[in-house]
Amino acid sequence: MSKIYNMTDYIKSWAKTFSGSLTIFLLVILTIFPFLSQNESFIFFFLRHFTLAMIFSIFAASWDFLTGISGQISFGHAIFFGIGGYFCAYLIAFQGFPIWLAIPTGALGAVAFGLIIGIPCLRLRGPYLALGTLAFSLILLKIFLLGSLSHIFFGSEGISYNSGPYPLTRISSNPLIEYFIVFITMIISFIVIFQIVKSKFGTILKSIRDDETGADASGINTTRYKVYAFMISSLFAGIAGSFYALYNTAVNPSGNLGTVISFFAILMASLGGLTTISGSSLGAFFFIFLEFILIEIGASLYVQLIFAITLIIVVRFAEHGILKPIIERLKDVWDVLLGR
Amino acid sequence: MGIILEVKNLTKKFGGLTAVNDFSFEIKRGDFVGLIGPNGAGKTTVFNLISGFEKPSSGKIRFAGIDITGMRPFKIVNLGIARTFQLVRSFKFLTLLDNVTVPCLSNRGKQVSKKLGAEEYASTILASVGLVDKARIPPIILPHGDLRKLQIAKAIGTNPELLLLDEPYSGLSHEESEVLTELIKKLHDDGVTIFMTGHVLRELMALVPRVIAMHQGKFIADGPPKEVANNKILLEAYLGRGGEFA
Repeated sequence: MSKIYNMTDYIKSWAKTFSGSLTIFLLVILTIFPFLSQNESFIFFFLRHFTLAMIFSIFAASWDFLTGISGQISFGHAIFFGIGGYFCAYLIAFQGFPIWLAIPTGALGAVAFGLIIGIPCLRLRGPYLALGTLAFSLILLKIFLLGSLSHIFFGSEGISYNSGPYPLTRISSNPLIEYFIVFITMIISFIVIFQIVKSKFGTILKSIRDDETGADASGINTTRYKVYAFMISSLFAGIAGSFYALYNTAVNPSGNLGTVISFFAILMASLGGLTTISGSSLGAFFFIFLEFILIEIGASLYVQLIFAITLIIVVRFAEHGILKPIIERLKDVWDVLLGR
Repeated sequence: MGIILEVKNLTKKFGGLTAVNDFSFEIKRGDFVGLIGPNGAGKTTVFNLISGFEKPSSGKIRFAGIDITGMRPFKIVNLGIARTFQLVRSFKFLTLLDNVTVPCLSNRGKQVSKKLGAEEYASTILASVGLVDKARIPPIILPHGDLRKLQIAKAIGTNPELLLLDEPYSGLSHEESEVLTELIKKLHDDGVTIFMTGHVLRELMALVPRVIAMHQGKFIADGPPKEVANNKILLEAYLGRGGEFA
């Protein structure tokens, strides 16, 4: 009885904080948005982009958990994203798995890779870990591209809608349902990640990030916790990757395992602030819609260029995320409005 | 009572450089021992070897009868040895409270802290070193003296039987040194065996009843401070040859 009492109190006091109210406000918008326009085709046109942004929110948050919270720099996060997607697609198209089973199983496949990659990388720190993960992702990409192994890994064609005996469908033929399934998964994922970060386990991960030697000297088995961090991160990256495979009803090496996917995770999480998990979501939305706008105005050639420039600017001027100073300003405005 | 730390023929070579050379000594439970020697004598290396941050080239280290030679640092901590570092380190972006909570969450620390809860227990440790009013502050903005106290608080969190203090007085003002001395004395009175290195000889020699001296990785002397202070080899090491200082 007292636990529920504490929970409602906690939610109430959280809602009163600036970030709490902002989050609730955005969640309300995301909930209402699909029903806003009478013009179905207009909404459905945008709807799928919102869904895509939410998929990448989960992916960026998974990266932020590993790098910003646990301090393990990953430049190869596409591995978990892509393996999740491939495994999920394979299970549906070739083994007839139902979607609700294929997605978590795909994610578990990503976790297995979290172990496979995490364990050899344990001895590496900082830039060497980044290079190690990058190397692994490039090797994996090449393996999947090999024509000679295409009977196992499907080669450069990958898996598409009717590659296998069963159709590789979307999460739902109705974009509205697709939207809400992804939306709810995103909310649950973020809540879970937040709770982990706030817990004592999260404090230990952060201590490893801030001073691994010091954590060692504090009696912490840093190896074990780093492996846990890889596994948790790859779980959520795998969920996002599975969703992405179903979003496109296809997987292929460059689209799901390419370096640019790893780049996206870094970009989106960095923009929102490296250690704020929720910032990953803002970063994801920003970039998905930036890309959308660029493509609409015919500047699609410049997408990667502009992303790269944005990353350089963020890294140079806004280590804690561009959004953070903006949010700080908004906080001040909020306080003024509330007469504090 | 009994021997808590036994170091036998400890040697550490870094390529061509022998940092610790056939070094042996024993420390009994409840002792209060200093380790002195000029810069580069190998004091920190000895500490690194005992606490597992370096592996010896040869030799043995026994703690409470257990062979801990080459064991991983966190395992050694969980057996009961804690250490502080010469260059102060901390979990920069965590609060002071979180800094001390982490060691309280180690396997060994949990055995003591679980009754109160790790955070509560960490609070009491912060209070005992006089930092509890800064519990919600990250270490980044704290003065040097407080950071040294924080290191000791973190070491206390692991409930050590043997505490290795590496140059704890370095960089401290006179007042801060006095506060630190009181803290170390209290820990010793509570039963913790203290082994500390020092460069600020006056404080150390007045504090500890026994001193081990080393120079260029080798054992020089072991005994009460007054005796060791008169050791010729040691005087030469610190002051150089030449009659005018003898």
